[in-house]
Amino acid sequence: MNKDLTKYAATKKKSEQSVLIGGIAAIIGAISFFTVPNQIGLILGAVLFIIGIIFAVMGSVKFNKLSTNFKVDVVTELVTSFVDEGKFDPHQGLPQGVVYATEFLKRADRFHSEDFLSGSMDGVQFISSDVKLEERHVERTENGTREYYETYFLGRIFRFEFNKSFEGYLQVLEKGRPVVKRKFNKVKLESVVFNKKFKTFATSEHSAFYVLTPHFMEALMNFEKNNKGNISFSFIDNHLFIGINNFKDTFELKMFRKLDESVFEEFKRDLFVIKEVVSELRLNNNIFKKE
Amino acid sequence: MSTELLIVVLVVLLVVFPLFWYIGTMNSLRQLEVKVEEAESGIDVALTKRFDVLTKLIGAVKGYAKHEAETFENVTKWRAGLPKELTLEQKQEFMSKMDGIQSGINVAVEAYPELKAEKSFLNLQQNIADVEEHLQAARRLYNSNVSTINSKIVTFPTSIVAGMINVSKKEFFEAETSKREDVEVSF
Repeated sequence: MNKDLTKYAATKKKSEQSVLIGGIAAIIGAISFFTVPNQIGLILGAVLFIIGIIFAVMGSVKFNKLSTNFKVDVVTELVTSFVDEGKFDPHQGLPQGVVYATEFLKRADRFHSEDFLSGSMDGVQFISSDVKLEERHVERTENGTREYYETYFLGRIFRFEFNKSFEGYLQVLEKGRPVVKRKFNKVKLESVVFNKKFKTFATSEHSAFYVLTPHFMEALMNFEKNNKGNISFSFIDNHLFIGINNFKDTFELKMFRKLDESVFEEFKRDLFVIKEVVSELRLNNNIFKKE
Repeated sequence: MSTELLIVVLVVLLVVFPLFWYIGTMNSLRQLEVKVEEAESGIDVALTKRFDVLTKLIGAVKGYAKHEAETFENVTKWRAGLPKELTLEQKQEFMSKMDGIQSGINVAVEAYPELKAEKSFLNLQQNIADVEEHLQAARRLYNSNVSTINSKIVTFPTSIVAGMINVSKKEFFEAETSKREDVEVSF
């Protein structure tokens, strides 16, 4: 990977230089267009501005292409190394149906998902992707109205196979409440710390206590501690949905940020979440599975 | 302020408001009592399920774990299932006996690898783990409700209403120390 990393770093530097030079040229062009009084100054300024913009756009396109190639290579290699039947597709995402099936995310006016991951770990099937949900707002201005979109969810959604069968629906949320109309009741569990950190909603109190054993509650709290952002869990029909709203676009290269092993480690950490869920929440424990 | 209005305000403050508070508190205590009863019946259901699965398990291991089978038959005078009129203490005792028998079986079957490999036995073991988890959930839910009502009963001024309507502190369903932790069943 080190050899590839050097190659990627070199291409990344070139595209960044292209964006930087293009940007500077465009700024100088714009300044001379507006400040130099004669015609030559105007023409030169306009030409410099256009060339600068073209240069910057080319650099940006090159960077995006490199970013996609990089994540395909790196994430695919990482995924196949610790996940069975691992698949990664940066252009595909979770379907809307799966995202809204979590029942803790309201319908968006603009939906986008990418970086689809799937596979199984210790026999536990999972799918996941980056999701961006935006809400449309209309604001009154002096000249009429202005429309803008506000992002209310940007992060990752996971769906794991869940090893316990139980009646009803259960949600454990750090913030907010379920967005569907079911007969949810707020459940207080024995752990004061857990009740402080999460709100538990369940259609059956018994099911909440059945799923949320003391060990499971501890594991959920540790998960929350290890992952920044607003965390939501939903248990529906033998599936565990997890939403991490951290306003972070996972597996993306950042422009002008040094490309070294730390980026590689960050990607690894983002993927490690899967392992953490399967082992810490003991989803690989089959003793509750009905045949 | 006129005298009439003053009287009305005084009546509201001294009679109507305390009356509404009394009714509200009484209802909330009664609702909590119902919740405790519901949770206790949840324990009954889980205990019955466990009894049924353990009966099947005993049937499967009868030839191997004779001692446990005999013990089980001796302690289970309730062959038709769990009687409804059992006290909480009797239920706890029943649960402890089942715990003992189950651990006896687990130890006994260690000596019989052919039994451990049998699919039907494995299924029963899985069922046992699941009903055990349900029993723990029912117990925790019951204790959580008991904790809520007990803390209300001892808190002033709710304690006054509790005394007036004869709502008393409820008993916790205690588990053995070894059962307080998560169920760990290893085969």
